[in-house]
Order: sequence, then structure tokens, then C-alpha cells
Amino acid sequence: MARAWIGGKPAALERALTEAAGLLAVARCPLIAGLGTDIAGARAAIRLAEQTGGVIDHMNSDTLLRDLAVLREAGMMMTTPNEARLRADTLLLVGPSLEKDASDPSRWLGLDSSGKGDAVEKRSLARLCPGGAVTIPGEAVVNCGVDRLPVVLAALRARLRGRRVATTGVPAKTIDDVATLLKAARFGVAMWSAADLDAPAIEMLCGIVADLNAETRFTGIALPPANNAIGVLQACGWMTGFPMRTGFGRGHPEHDPWLHDGARMMATGEADCVVWISAYGAAAPRWPDGTPVIALTAGEAVPAAGPAVQIEVGRPGLDHDGVEHCPMLGTLLAVAATQPSETTSVADAIGGILAAMPGTQVPA
Amino acid sequence: MKTRIAGGRVIDPANGRDEIGDIWISDGRIIEAPPPGTTPDASYDAAGKIVMAGAIDIHSHIAGWNVNTARLLLPEFHRAAAARPAATPLSNAGWSTFATGCLYAQMGFTTVVEPAVSPHYALHAHLELADIPIIDKATLAVLGNDDFLLGLMRERDSGSAVEDYVAWTLDATRSLGVKVVNAGGSLALKANVRQFAFDDVVPHYGVSSREIVKTLQRATHALGVPHPLHVHCNNLGMAGSDASALTTIAAAEGLPLHLAHLQFYGYGKEGARGFSSAAPRLAEAVNAAKSVTIDVGQVMFGQTVTISLDTLRQFNSRGHARPRKWVLLEGDANGAGIVPYDYRASDFYNAVQWAAGLELFLLIDDPWRVFFTTDHPNGAPFTTYPDIFALLMDRDLRAQQIAALPPDAMAVTTLPAITREYTLTEIATMTRAAPARLLGLTDRGHLGAGAIGDVAVYADERDRAKMFRAAALVFKDGELVVREGAVTGYRWGRALTVRPARDRAIDQRMTRYYEDRYGLSDAFLKVPDRAIGRPEPFELVRCAR
Repeated sequence: MARAWIGGKPAALERALTEAAGLLAVARCPLIAGLGTDIAGARAAIRLAEQTGGVIDHMNSDTLLRDLAVLREAGMMMTTPNEARLRADTLLLVGPSLEKDASDPSRWLGLDSSGKGDAVEKRSLARLCPGGAVTIPGEAVVNCGVDRLPVVLAALRARLRGRRVATTGVPAKTIDDVATLLKAARFGVAMWSAADLDAPAIEMLCGIVADLNAETRFTGIALPPANNAIGVLQACGWMTGFPMRTGFGRGHPEHDPWLHDGARMMATGEADCVVWISAYGAAAPRWPDGTPVIALTAGEAVPAAGPAVQIEVGRPGLDHDGVEHCPMLGTLLAVAATQPSETTSVADAIGGILAAMPGTQVPA
Repeated sequence: MKTRIAGGRVIDPANGRDEIGDIWISDGRIIEAPPPGTTPDASYDAAGKIVMAGAIDIHSHIAGWNVNTARLLLPEFHRAAAARPAATPLSNAGWSTFATGCLYAQMGFTTVVEPAVSPHYALHAHLELADIPIIDKATLAVLGNDDFLLGLMRERDSGSAVEDYVAWTLDATRSLGVKVVNAGGSLALKANVRQFAFDDVVPHYGVSSREIVKTLQRATHALGVPHPLHVHCNNLGMAGSDASALTTIAAAEGLPLHLAHLQFYGYGKEGARGFSSAAPRLAEAVNAAKSVTIDVGQVMFGQTVTISLDTLRQFNSRGHARPRKWVLLEGDANGAGIVPYDYRASDFYNAVQWAAGLELFLLIDDPWRVFFTTDHPNGAPFTTYPDIFALLMDRDLRAQQIAALPPDAMAVTTLPAITREYTLTEIATMTRAAPARLLGLTDRGHLGAGAIGDVAVYADERDRAKMFRAAALVFKDGELVVREGAVTGYRWGRALTVRPARDRAIDQRMTRYYEDRYGLSDAFLKVPDRAIGRPEPFELVRCAR
């Protein structure tokens, strides 16, 4: 049974959809934020943003756009975790975030060599600023604070090119041990999380990867942000040409990472109506007072301050079928509902809002 | 509902027709002209205009991870230009799926094949295709750098396992045919091999590029898949790459084989710079090899981006990126490389490339075996097609453009001496009748009774580029979708697929393989109808077997 609330009071779904449509119809600058949803939900959200002249942003855009900044400024070499598990004889793991939560690289990359393909004889490991206690015999480790990673990466790149480096706060031999290990790779993979590195540091790491290819083979993996950020990015890319933080205020898609930063738009009051989408259970931010919020949330992900309209949505792959990005394979995957329920999907909820708005032009 | 397109010059080479006449459409299909006196529900005046079937593009990179990553790599190249047109949401984004469908439809194209889909990315590709309005689509599944196939070949599996695997892949990925991209080359690159030719052997697997191509060619043929194996040869883009193409053409050995974007192999080593057009040699070989078809991959001058599953080639060309940024994905099997490039009219090499493509068009004598592509966007965006039609149809226009190009470049080609001009019938053959036959689409590419009501009507202008850029009328499944070069509204097309018969034992084998190798169900690369989010997203094309 679909659950919905208007002003915190239980309401029929149809009434909640109509109420949401009414709020959006009078909004001058709606913000479609959160965007923790499957591909169908993302497609619907983008249609809603175009229809209302609004802005789309994703709750993990900060980290996503750090990697994307490097991609579109300098380019990038990349592979999938699965290909790394099967093929890599050398792994360079950068930063503590890799070893948190679901991103456990020992599972992804088979650090114990259990999953490696038959073309790989043995596997070497180097870690910069590791976050976990797991060690592997023979691994090269640089222990330093996250804030030192840019310096360590710069020093490592310089040493790989045979240049001298000034003090880095880390023993020179430690850096050289990592350099030696990387140079001995036959197919190496560097992995990082943009949660630990700023864009220049990511670019430095990608530069290390590119440099190593002068002699051997090396590539990289950026840890995908949560909440299907990469899946939403893909849909946003093919529908608008651009990543999230794209607005339709002037009738065509315009991407601007600062102007269309959802958190900034809320803090400054630029957004006069917010649609918050969170179908994977991520918590909502704290809303500014006075801005009407339409919350499409799953499970316990209830906004801190009471939203004007709230609709409970299902979780992709749990309540309903969906398509989402699979980090292990680096591609979009159809997921089937494991506990099918009557809960409405994000796509259907937005479809209902659009249908309740006058003059809707829906391309589907 | 009967629609009449009245009094145009109907050019329908598949049915040997070139005459003033009417086309009648009923319930989405072309019908025989009804008895005189029948009143149509809608009638469109085509007097003085040219009427052709909807055009078919057999090779254009319009969807999937690679295309989308190119969009994200180059935001500065596709800013939206205009405020939104009310009838067609998102069609004003500079480079969106919505714009792609509109731009194709405006030129009278109604079916387009995305020719490079790695099986693991098939769902993504189909989701993008589903958001391309108006036109019908299809994908080719790329094999030949995949561990499973090369594993079978390494074990010298002599049974029908390869055929069953190809059939399984086509079914799982909802594809229309099979392509091989630099067979073995992407696997070789992963082993740090930087040059890879037709008789080189893939490290670890011990099979040659030739063996992979021949294995897939035979399997595709044996399965009765209408479209022959679609081959992207080794050594693309290099001086002397004509040898790769000639070797591959010879290896067809009388069985059907399609060579993609042959222009990119049309380079010899003659001349002061060691780079020359080898297009005449290639054209001669194609003319002689009757089982071989090719598409051109014409280069046109301007900024573009190269998008290819040939990771070896893209890796080696990374230093030529203009602007200086590029992406290389070494994914399962092929992976992908994206390298932006600016073809310049003042550049000797780019001018030779431009000429070599036109030479292929003009020196291959059978328009049923040479296909119209720019390898979009690798040689040029598909929006340049009208300009290429004009060049093929007008030797004076060619002479004007040749005069503006570096003379030393033109000196290593034969283009200035070629006088042939394509006729409208040859254009219709190359872009309608022949592609339908090549893909096994019996109800497309022609205007006979029973054909799908895909019709393009053009003003018969002296300026052929203008004529083909903006069709006067376009019908898709009998529905008017373009009027005077402008899209009138959206409708949603289908993706064409084949499903050749297979021994179902392969299904269990693939399940085991994916569980062992990926720790996942093989279901992940299957493309279910329900995931696409549109009604009836697929249409099945019959196989010969």
C-alpha cells in the first residue's frame, strides 16, 4: 500500500501527487535533488526538471564531479573492479575510504589473490594512506595523513620519472619502494576514492597511471559514489549531454557545477521548491525553513523538518524491478525485486506528478 | 487510415522503379495503389519532389557507454543552442539521444545501427536507444576479444559450441548481428603488445587474429544471421594499413564478410611523406571479391571525437588527441577508447583521408556493396551526410574543394582525375535498398507493397546538400514525423534483433562460466523487455536457419 503525507498528515497518494504538482507549478526555480534512484527514476526526474524549468543535482555530486573534473580536463584510463580482480598483477590502493563500507577492496579485487585469472602468477600490493589493518606479505605501504596524499602522489610521480624530490614528510625509501613495485607491474591497477582526494590529486594519480604506460600497462578505478550516482550520471548524460548540476531555467540544459549545486541553492534560498529523491535510504539534509519540500523517500529516509508532501517510494531491486549501475562490473544491470511490494516507484510517483501538472510535454 | 503521397518521382531501386507516381500507406505499411477514385484519409502533394524509402544507416555510433563518455569528456563541444521547441522535449540539448533521433529523421533516415556494443554494456546501449525518438535502431554485439570465445578456441573446441555461444550472445544482448573489432587486439594490449596484425597470436590464448575472424565469420554464416560478420580490421589508421584490409578481404574466401569504415585502411606508404591514398588498390580488391561488402567511414573536416572499441588503436593514438584529453577503458573483453580529433583541411594527412574516402565511393563500381557511413562520429558527425551526397553527385563541387586542399596531398590520390557522379538511383541503392538487404530487413529500404511505411520526400533541389539536409516530408510507420525539415512530434521506435536457433546446453554452460568468473548470474548481461521502459521495444528479424 502506497503511503503519502501532506503537511505531515496521512493522505491518499492521488491527493499527494496533485498537491506536489501544485507546488511545482507555481515554483520559479525548483530543485530536483537527492536523485538516489534507479534509471527509470532518474529519467523521470530529468523530465520533471525540464518540464518545470528546474535544476537536477545528486546527493553524491561532490565526489562524482571531482572525478569527472579530471576526466574532462585531462582524460583518464580506467578498468572495472572485476577486470582488475581477474587480470591485475599489481594493485595501488590510495586513501582510507576504499576500505570502508561496501567498497571493501578485499572483496572487490580479491586481495588474497583468490579471484585472479589464470594469466596472473602472483599479485603485488602497494597502499598509500591505508584505512584498514589487513596486510599482505611483501606489500609496500606509505603511512601518512589523508592531507599528505597530494604531496606523496607528486613525489611518487617525480620518482617514477627519475626526478629528485624534496622532503615529503615520508621517508624517501618508502616512496621509492612503491615506485619500484609499480614499475615491475605487467598489468597494474590504481584505485582511489574521490572522497579522499581533490581533483588536482586525482589528476596527479591519473598522471602516474598514464606515465607508467610508457613502458608497461597500468590503469585505474575510481570508486563509484553511492546512491546509483554513476547510473544517474549515465541517464543524465544521454538525455541532456551533461552530468548532474544541470538546469533548465532558460529552456535548454545548462551544466554549471557551482550555479546548480543543490546545497548552495538551498542555503541561499535560490530554490523555491525542492523535490528530494532518496530511494536507497540515504538520509536527507537539513532543509532551510520556508522552502516547500516534496520528499520521495524509501524506508526511514524521512527529512528532518516536515516536508510539505511526502510519498513513500520503493527500493529498486527490493520492492520493484529496476536498472542500476553495478560497481563490480562498471555497467548498468537489471535488478529484480526480491521482496515485491505495492510501494510506488520514483518513476511512477514523478509520472503521477507530471500527469497532474497542466500542459505537460512528456517524451514517453 | 489510408495515406497517399501523390505525384512525386518515386525512386525505388529494390523494385526497379523510377517514375512519377503515388505511394499509398495503410496501417503503417505500404500498399498497392487502390482502385482509381479511392479517397485517401490524408494526401500529401509530392509533385516535383523525390520520393524514396526511409534511409538506413548501417554503422553509426549513437548510443552506449562509449558515446555517453564522449559526451561527458567534451561538454564544451555541445552546448545547447536554442530554447526548447514545444513539441519535442530535450531535442535541443546539443548532443542527446533526443537530438540524435530528430537530426536523423530530418534527413529522412528511419533505421540506424549502433555497431559497437560490448555484451556487458548491451542494457545500457538499449536504454539509450530507447530514448532516441522516431527512428528504429539495432545493435551489433562485439565478440573476438572475449575470454569465453578465445577460451573455446584455445581448447580447439570442435563442436558447435562457438555457434551456440554466438547465438546465445545475440539473444542475451538483443542484437541484430556480430562485429569483431581488431580481433584479439584488445587482449593483446592488456599483455602490453603495441602492434598487432592479422596473423599475430594473442598472448596466453595462442590463437591468431585471423583464426578469430574466420571462426566468427563461419559461425555467423552457419547460424543464418542475415548480416555477415562485421569486421573492424587490425592496424586502423596507419600508413600501410591497406595491407591489413587486403589480407582481410582475401580471407573472406567467398563467404560473406563486411569490412567497416574501409577508408581508415586506405593508406599506403608512397610519396615524400610516406603516406598516400591506397584507396584505388582497395577498391580494386573489393570489386573483385563479390562476397565482400564495405562501408566507407568518410572523413569530413572539422572537430569531432573518435569513439572505438579498438583500444589498441586508441591507446596508440592518444598523443594525437585534439584537444589533449582522452579516455581508455580496459573493460571486460574489448573496452573502449575515446580520443577527440580535429580534421583540418590544411593538414596533409587529413586531406589524404578525405580524398581516400571519396575515392572508395567512386571507384567501387557496385552501389549494392559500398555503404554510406562516416563511422559517426569517427570520420565526421552524421549531420555531414548531405554534404557528402553532394560531393558524390557533383564533380565540379569536388574540384572546387580539391583546389582548396594541400596540393601535395591531392598528388598522392587519384581523386582529382575521377569524373564519376552518383545518380539519385545510386544514392537510393546505397542508403536504402542495399542496407536493407545487407541486414536482412525484407520490409525496409523499398517502397513495394508490404514494406514498412518509412518514406522520405525531398525537394528536387540543385543544391543536393540542402535537399538531403531537410526532407520535405518524412513518414515513419506511415505516420508523418517531419515536415519541411522540422520534426512534428515524437514517436518511439523499436530495436531490431535476431534470435538464431541454438543448443540450449550453452545456457547452462554460460551460467556456470559467469558464476565461476564473475561470481554473478549471467542474467546481468541479458536485456529484458521490462528493463527498457517502453512498450514493445524489440522487433525480431528472421534468420535464414
